[in-house]
Amino acid sequence: MTLPGLIAPSCVYACTRFRVRRTKLLSREDYRRIMQMSIPGVVAHLGRQEDYRDIINLAASFSGARLVEEAVNRSLARSFRHAMMIARGDMHTLAGEYLTRWDITNVMAILRGTVFDVPRQQVRDLLVPAGELDTTLLDHLLGLTTCGEALEALQDWRLYPVLEEYYRICGERGVFARIENELYMNYYAGLLGLVASGCSGCRELIAYLRFEIDITNMKNLLRLRCGEEACDITTIDQTMIPGGRIPIDLFRRLYSTGTEEEFTSTFLQTDIAPVLARAVRELRQDPGFSSEDAAELVWQRWHQHLRPVHEIEMAITRTRLRELEALSRRHPFSVLTMIAYLERKRYEVANLRAIARGKAFGLPPGRIWQYIVL
Amino acid sequence: MPVDEIKPTRSGLLIVRRRMALAERIHRLLKMKLDGMMLELVRLTDQAARERKELEEKYAHAREMAAVATMMEGATGVLLAALSVEAVPTYTTGHKNVFGVHLPDLEPVMVKKTLIQRGYGILGTSSVIDDAADAYEDLISAIIASAELEGGITRLLDDIERTRRRVNALEFKVIPELTDLRRLIEYQRDEMERQDAVRLRRIKKIKAKRRW
Repeated sequence: MTLPGLIAPSCVYACTRFRVRRTKLLSREDYRRIMQMSIPGVVAHLGRQEDYRDIINLAASFSGARLVEEAVNRSLARSFRHAMMIARGDMHTLAGEYLTRWDITNVMAILRGTVFDVPRQQVRDLLVPAGELDTTLLDHLLGLTTCGEALEALQDWRLYPVLEEYYRICGERGVFARIENELYMNYYAGLLGLVASGCSGCRELIAYLRFEIDITNMKNLLRLRCGEEACDITTIDQTMIPGGRIPIDLFRRLYSTGTEEEFTSTFLQTDIAPVLARAVRELRQDPGFSSEDAAELVWQRWHQHLRPVHEIEMAITRTRLRELEALSRRHPFSVLTMIAYLERKRYEVANLRAIARGKAFGLPPGRIWQYIVL
Repeated sequence: MPVDEIKPTRSGLLIVRRRMALAERIHRLLKMKLDGMMLELVRLTDQAARERKELEEKYAHAREMAAVATMMEGATGVLLAALSVEAVPTYTTGHKNVFGVHLPDLEPVMVKKTLIQRGYGILGTSSVIDDAADAYEDLISAIIASAELEGGITRLLDDIERTRRRVNALEFKVIPELTDLRRLIEYQRDEMERQDAVRLRRIKKIKAKRRW
């Protein structure tokens, strides 16, 4: 038992392990070097890294960018399972809850594959077993023939109550999208609930998660607005994640605003504006870009029914990740260290995948670099 | 009645004249149809060239969007979104009548979809998937529009070829043959008339001799 105010030795141990693992991730210089390589060069380079050593074994089954993507996905799954083993107690629970997003992706792929009769091997190739549901269970799910059987086999999963509601109508048109949205909403609710129960660094983590929810909601609002047919308030309710700092009512108000003044003044009330301004300042190397300019930029996209600019989305992710790292340095023996490592690893995999895919499509290095999160 | 069986009589001549009038009228109409079809072909060809250019641009854009989506979400993310498609895009076929030619009329069905109709969850995907889906929907629409135009051009060309053969057959075979036949019948009828006149004069002379 740990005395109040003292940090448990298991937490110190786990955080130290995560910090060591963090130092082993690829650096900016590594990325710059990889950007100069061809795809076979990238494969050879990754083969020399500890985390991606089995890329050589995979070379018999895959090639090119697919080989890199397969290897990094496997590395991600291995690293996350390893992280679950390192973490103990509350940290382990939080890691499990945090990694449920991968389980959601896997479960949805299996359910869709079962209903739409997609070849099992094709579905198996899409799975990244980086969550709590292990390969054995996923393989068992893949062997089942009906949606009902698959749902029954998931009874022990933490998000099963959501699936249970759709037992009768599983497979009907539009149901999967609803299930997916609800699973993600429950995922965030569960994560916020767990973090709210109190732990070292949880207060900061809540702020990080709530901002992630706000950003996701804002992006999705722009996506809904961009659709050909205007969505109704019901759709907004079904797709906005509750729990963020910005109340859903404000998003509803934003959706119905018609004038620039009204929109920008409402948008400036949110925490997104300063972060967006900072991201754009870094992206465009424009020190004079203010929150008002950010609101104006969003209004332009909004008014023209355009989606968010991908490069700006990436810039915001970079800013958020940098803030998370700063927080984890400020609270070195807290859950923030683990979350910072998991997020960094996630984006390392995304970066390598982006480089391989970008090179395979023949995109110029400058363009690929815009999609790298460092 | 075949041309060979027409006798050099007055009724034969009338048949030939009637047939010639008919052939000339058909020739005139077919020529007008041919001109109309040529104008339509030129219009359609211009439109098809524009559509093809647009199609190529849309294909390049779709490839780029797919590249960006694969970069950001990975092939796994893109394939998972593709797996979610519940309503397969298709088209209905009909036809429109242009100068009696049935040109294909293709109507896209469930090609352009709203975010909700696409089948994937909004919270599990990002806007880059929407962009890729939009680009491919535009591409499929352009393919259908292009296929409709190019199919129409192929049909029109076939019909122009057939009509041209008919026009040529009328112009260089049927009408000249009927003209020749009419001339032949007229010559033969003139000849017969002359023979009759000579015969009558001869009989008249013989009768006059007997009377003396």
